[in-house]
Amino acid sequence: MSKDVIIRFEHVTKQYDGLVVLDDVSFEIERGKFYTLLGPSGCGKTTILRLIAGFIEPTKGTIYFNGKNINHVPANKRQVNTVFQDYALFPHLNVFENVAFGLRVKKMKYADIQEKVAEALRFVNLEGYEHREIREMSGGQRQRVAIARAIVNEPEVLLLDEPLSALDLKLRTEMQYELRELQRRLGITFIFVTHDQEEALAMSDQIFVLHKGKIQQSGTPKDIYDEPVNRFVADFIGESNILPGTMIADFLVEFAGKRFECVDQGFYPNEPVEVVIRPEDLEITTRDQGKLQVRVDSQLFRGVHYELCCYDQHGNEWLVHSTKKAEVGEEIGLYFEPEAIHVMRVSEAQEVSDGEGSDET
Amino acid sequence: MKRKVKWDNLYLIIMFVILYTPIFYLIYYSFNSGGTMHHFQGFTLEWYKEVFQDTRLLIIVLNTFVIALLASAISTILGVMGALAIYYVKKRRMKNLLLTLNNVLIVSPDVIIGASFLILFTIIGIQLGFTSVLLSHIAFSVPIVVLMVLPKLQEMSPTLIDAARDLGANQWNVLTKVILPFITPGIFAGFFMALTYSLDDFAVTFFVTGNGFSTLSVEIYSRARQGISLSINALSTLLFLFTVLLVVGYYFISQRSSRLYGMGGRK
Ligand SMILES: Nc1ncnc2c1ncn2[C@@H]1O[C@H](COP(=O)(O)OP(=O)(O)OP(=O)(O)O)[C@@H](O)[C@H]1O
Ligand SMILES: [Mg+2]
Repeated sequence: MSKDVIIRFEHVTKQYDGLVVLDDVSFEIERGKFYTLLGPSGCGKTTILRLIAGFIEPTKGTIYFNGKNINHVPANKRQVNTVFQDYALFPHLNVFENVAFGLRVKKMKYADIQEKVAEALRFVNLEGYEHREIREMSGGQRQRVAIARAIVNEPEVLLLDEPLSALDLKLRTEMQYELRELQRRLGITFIFVTHDQEEALAMSDQIFVLHKGKIQQSGTPKDIYDEPVNRFVADFIGESNILPGTMIADFLVEFAGKRFECVDQGFYPNEPVEVVIRPEDLEITTRDQGKLQVRVDSQLFRGVHYELCCYDQHGNEWLVHSTKKAEVGEEIGLYFEPEAIHVMRVSEAQEVSDGEGSDET
Repeated sequence: MKRKVKWDNLYLIIMFVILYTPIFYLIYYSFNSGGTMHHFQGFTLEWYKEVFQDTRLLIIVLNTFVIALLASAISTILGVMGALAIYYVKKRRMKNLLLTLNNVLIVSPDVIIGASFLILFTIIGIQLGFTSVLLSHIAFSVPIVVLMVLPKLQEMSPTLIDAARDLGANQWNVLTKVILPFITPGIFAGFFMALTYSLDDFAVTFFVTGNGFSTLSVEIYSRARQGISLSINALSTLLFLFTVLLVVGYYFISQRSSRLYGMGGRK
């Protein structure tokens, strides 16, 4: 196979005192890509990172690293480094010593240490900060120290546990670019954890969407945004209109009391389904030109667009993002392309990773 | 509101006056040439001279310090190990049990500790003297050190340990490069507490001392019983000054370390 798999989870389950935190999770991580674990709080993101880093062992299943079972390899023997959510910088050491920690433990020569630390600090744009104390650094600078401390050990995989969550919006966006750029320059695998879907969409090559200890869907940001595989993913990744419907036949779906042409196929005839339409895929037109007729209930100005909340005659709520303005109480028409309709099986969860998943055992 | 603050201050002042008056009274008369504690006749350093000429007393002072330093050093080591052990206990119940056992030792009356040590030493046949005093001082100092070190350990974010292991540190590295530096202020605090406890302990020492071995507090007690000599005042004054020095020293050390870990201040 041409894929260069570096980490593989095979039916990994993690329990804490009988409580299942990760439920039979299988996935593959390829070398040199930027991965994101995305999911709400408590869904098991950190647990996956801790399993990879070696702080905990799986209850069931196997973790492979470069093809070798690493279930019982301790953290200090793994070619993986972590940037912790709270950075976990050593308060009693200055910036230089923090970054040098891993090298000192390896008993490297001092001259080499100096050179490597300087290089790592240059990488994260912190030249000249060697002798600062940690408490003298700002939040963004601390985060960079944490990254420098991790990459100076030349790991094959860098794990980042919500490293941006403590930063303000502006710095955060800046750091998103920097991290992505850093990953390209280093060419190593990044596994990035976040609960912010925009961050995940903006930064990743591949996203794993997690919920309740299971991977709901994995794929490129575009896949996941355009083709959410179930209600949870559709709801979690951006705002969406989710309606119950029926698949009449291939390329024909019924919802909101009408039949529409669509691009989905492969369902049973008359199978009950859920239909997703993104608010930005809906266009406002006149009542007669629209495929659907709705009444505007409220309208909010959101900067780039207006956010309209409308109801059709069946009482379904429709969220519309539009640059056009409408009047509250007005009857308007909604127009959308067949491609805008996305049909999902009811509570479908993706078991293997996006079609191309692991077929060898 | 304003009134209330005033009352608070007044209360504090009265409390401190009551607590410190006897000490200053004692110090005051240590300079009395009259030889009594109720009529100040004139200033003299005679009593201090007497203290420094009393070789038996000086040996006892030496004993006291040897015991205090040894006991606090050993109990600091044991206490740090104990605190680490309690920290690493996973089960909440077990942890609380150990902590309670530790705290009971701190609050239980010295008399009981002293008496029980006396019984213990007699049973296992340890001769009363230097060893018995040292052992009992270590024993009552260890819980104090544990109590001073444990909060520091709990203050430490457990991800620091994960971070160290992540960077390749083995257990020993984690201990010496992360945990011990982090809890150093607690270790110092524990050492100084143990030192002061050991220096001024009377009750426990009184029970377990023997064979002519004595510490300052016991000696002062027995001399005070024999009759009034102002050299005791002089000795007590010196002791008091020394304690103040210890407290000031401890204050500066803790100041420095809090500056090291807290906000502000540059190297
Ligand atoms: N040491 C532990 N003992 C018991 N339960 C734990 C432990 N660590 C985590 N859990 C539980 O496992 C679940 C997943 O935790 P995890 O830390 O992986 O969540 P997360 O996805 O990282 O969430 P967040 O976004 O809030 O960081 C949570 O329900 C948590 O309560
Ligand atoms: Mg987490």
